[in-house]
Amino acid sequence: MSRGDRDRNPPDDPSLVRPYLPAGVRPEYRAAPPRREHRKDPDTRPYEASGLRPYLQTGGRVRPLDINLEIEAQVMTTPAGRADANRLAFEQRDIVALCEQASAIAEIAARLGLHIGVTRVLASDLIAMGYLTVRRPGTGHRHDARIIERVVRGLQAIR
Amino acid sequence: VDSKPFADDWSIDDERPAASDGGTRLPLPVKIVIAGGFGVGKTTAVSVISETPVLTTEAAMTEMAADIDRSAQLPTKTTTTVALDFGCITVDEEIKLYLFGTPGQDRFGFMWRDLTEGALGALVIVDTRRLDDCYPAVDYFEHHDIPFVVAANRFDGVLEHDLDDVRWALAVSDDIPLIDFDARERASVRDALLAVLQCSLDRVDDHRADSPSVPATGG
Repeated sequence: MSRGDRDRNPPDDPSLVRPYLPAGVRPEYRAAPPRREHRKDPDTRPYEASGLRPYLQTGGRVRPLDINLEIEAQVMTTPAGRADANRLAFEQRDIVALCEQASAIAEIAARLGLHIGVTRVLASDLIAMGYLTVRRPGTGHRHDARIIERVVRGLQAIR
Repeated sequence: VDSKPFADDWSIDDERPAASDGGTRLPLPVKIVIAGGFGVGKTTAVSVISETPVLTTEAAMTEMAADIDRSAQLPTKTTTTVALDFGCITVDEEIKLYLFGTPGQDRFGFMWRDLTEGALGALVIVDTRRLDDCYPAVDYFEHHDIPFVVAANRFDGVLEHDLDDVRWALAVSDDIPLIDFDARERASVRDALLAVLQCSLDRVDDHRADSPSVPATGG
């Protein structure tokens, strides 16, 4: 497939190579600062999937630390995350910046144009490092009448 | 002895976030899944009731793909989504409801476990002009014991078949609620979601009734 081509020809756009690659890579493969015009205004850019192979963004890992991290789980940046943001690789830095406000995993994926599986891996790493705090849906909601009734009342208020 | 007030300390510079502020400042997320074939009105329904513009995790379909998915045969449907789009509603000071729209096709089945895990319930939207699009979703929710409601979208305000015929054609059992609604009307979408939640509540009651003994129902 296109993998051989990638090996032979260094990508024209240096931002296509991620800093997760091992230290031994040739200099032209090293990461440069991201060049993504849309990052300044995630709300108005058109939605597009990243052309990047997901395993490059995650340093080769395909499973999040917590493989059950729900797509609706809420995360928010902690003071530690804010303090260390500059030391993070840039997808993670993006996440930490975005999550100054509580966001769902799916929202992060959508706003940063990341694959949802990649987002899950990166976010669960950040949670493990204490850079994001998380609130997950309880497992028994479907059977928790009080929660459902509150949602019912909330919807009934919509006109 | 240092008697500095405890609360002043950790609220500002806490290194154990999950334990301390995880429960207080972040909303509790809940979700309802909106399923159905291409072009049945999922995105419309989500966008009409969501507080935020609908977000999408993947690209809009190309025209070529749209052809394959038969949308080209349908009037005025030009774009559709390949992955999932979603919106949210702040239910109260603590709970945030997410609505995830997902294509109902078998080939997206790999996403469904993620989507439906922990969902309060599901709304399966059908277009009565092509009912077969919703079979995989109906099958999935039935087999996984997820409360769901089938909602026929009144395109242009018209339902082309009556609900009894739709029920017969879908072969869903009588205890699955079947309603008609208009995906463009906020109140109509709200009522459809309320029907889903009623279904979830009924299921809770069933489980309560069953709980002392062996689970009585299920696949």
